[in-house]
Amino acid sequence: MIPIIIIAVWEFFAIQANNPALLPRVGDVVNRLIHPFTDLLNTGSFVRHICVSASRVVLGFILAAVIGIPLGLLVGRYLLFHRLFSPVIELLRPLCPIAWIPFAMAIFKTYTIADMFGAHYTTSIFGHIQLGMLYVIFYGGFFPIFLNTVHGVKSVKHLYIESALLLGADQKKLFKKVIFPSSLPSILTGLRVGLGISWMVIIAAEMLPGSDAGIGYLIIFSYELAEMDILIASMILIGAVGALLSYGVKVIADRTSVWQAKER
Amino acid sequence: MSFLRINNIGKTFLGERKEKVIALSDLSFDCQDGEFLCIVGPTGCGKTTLLRLIAGLEQPSEGDIILADTVIQDLNREATLVFQQYSLFPWRNVIDNVCFSLEIKKIPKKTRYLKARKFIDLVGLTGFEKALPYELSGGMQQRVAIARALAHNPKLLLLDEPFGALDERTRHRLQEKLLAVWQKEQKTVVFVTHNIDEAIFLASRILIMRDRPGRIDNEIKVDLPRPRDRRSQGFLKLHIKIREILEQILITNTNNQRGVL
Ligand SMILES: Nc1ncnc2c1ncn2[C@@H]1O[C@H](COP(=O)(O)OP(=O)(O)OP(=O)(O)O)[C@@H](O)[C@H]1O
Ligand SMILES: [Mg+2]
Repeated sequence: MIPIIIIAVWEFFAIQANNPALLPRVGDVVNRLIHPFTDLLNTGSFVRHICVSASRVVLGFILAAVIGIPLGLLVGRYLLFHRLFSPVIELLRPLCPIAWIPFAMAIFKTYTIADMFGAHYTTSIFGHIQLGMLYVIFYGGFFPIFLNTVHGVKSVKHLYIESALLLGADQKKLFKKVIFPSSLPSILTGLRVGLGISWMVIIAAEMLPGSDAGIGYLIIFSYELAEMDILIASMILIGAVGALLSYGVKVIADRTSVWQAKER
Repeated sequence: MSFLRINNIGKTFLGERKEKVIALSDLSFDCQDGEFLCIVGPTGCGKTTLLRLIAGLEQPSEGDIILADTVIQDLNREATLVFQQYSLFPWRNVIDNVCFSLEIKKIPKKTRYLKARKFIDLVGLTGFEKALPYELSGGMQQRVAIARALAHNPKLLLLDEPFGALDERTRHRLQEKLLAVWQKEQKTVVFVTHNIDEAIFLASRILIMRDRPGRIDNEIKVDLPRPRDRRSQGFLKLHIKIREILEQILITNTNNQRGVL
């Protein structure tokens, strides 16, 4: 019901304004969306831009998970690691990932993964994965993943740990068979939130000067050329992809965490 | 030399407001290899604390606990404790809960499932192998916990009111099953219960505890022939005797409290 109202209001104002550079008609935007493979403004199609953005996010996010989960497990379980990392983390946490973007761009310039491997990868997708962007995505994804993992480990019931020890588990098995599965629902929540933040951060990063592809870049470029239909279509796509990512993690999470939802 | 020796142990906890709570004081007893020991006593007298100390989950403040010639200073790897609370791993189904220790011992899946099914059957839960703990009643969960402990096959089995949540018939049936395992596998069992009838039916010896602070008040050897007949003269006489001892403990307690007030 509400979407219909929004679309109706939009269409009403679009007709009133009668200026596609200000507010395009609903039909124009839809027309853009149903041709996702068509080249736009000589920069490539929607699909290409989405793929570039998504590959940046996936890589940075995997990095965040690969570092955030093990670190969270250790910090949550061992006081030594807690003492070592907590002060730094508490200090960095309130610092919004977007605030890092200019700094990361300055440090990493436009270095891409391809530059690390050699020039002949430049034309591949790696040529579009800038280290600076990777860094801010990592940063954005890391905190929710890390903090939720720590929380998960800290809320493992002592009773389960004692039971496992009395059934012959050593420290390694305890991690694998009790602490990890018990904190899994919390870890998955962290992954879901982290992925959402990564997706927001990448759009912001791509809007900055120096970027040459990605859905955020397309937004800023179509803004400069006053191509409002492309701009709005891009926004809709960002929302849709973000929702899809979140839904994907949620499906996995729900399947592995039935026990937690039902625990009395 | 006895299998398990509790040597003048005391346990003091620091309470919420830093006050000292003396849970156990000057408590001693011996337990022979293969004995079935039952412990009864008023609520809060330190039965759970005693089991936790024997399991090595906590250390006594005074005295020591010796198991097969070694002082327990860390986790007691010879013992398994079935907790008073529900302690099943909620993310594992029944059979994988029962299999936990077998998995740790790296026993192949087929063999361990075969073994686990035997114990699931023993506690009367065949058909529930794939159920998750939240789908079971409290009493059923406790039976799975017992199966899980039996599958681990410890030398010393510690049970903290394991049949408290069961109806009488199931309770009786499980008592018989537990006795069968005990006799067959030559285990030593320390079994905490509030139920006098249960203690007499199971035990080779009954320890009666009193509280404030927790210590052994009385010890009763049960020589009745097995399987025991709950309606026999000997059984009923013992029942009355233990009941009187427990009532006496409660009376002295209330008197003490009056004295304090
Ligand atoms: N971790 C703890 N911190 C402080 N006090 C404790 C702790 N554990 C036990 N106590 C105290 O020690 C005493 C004995 O407790 P325990 O749980 O051993 O009793 P119990 O005999 O098992 O009782 P019940 O029959 O009700 O299970 C109680 O007074 C309790 O308050
Ligand atoms: Mg208790």
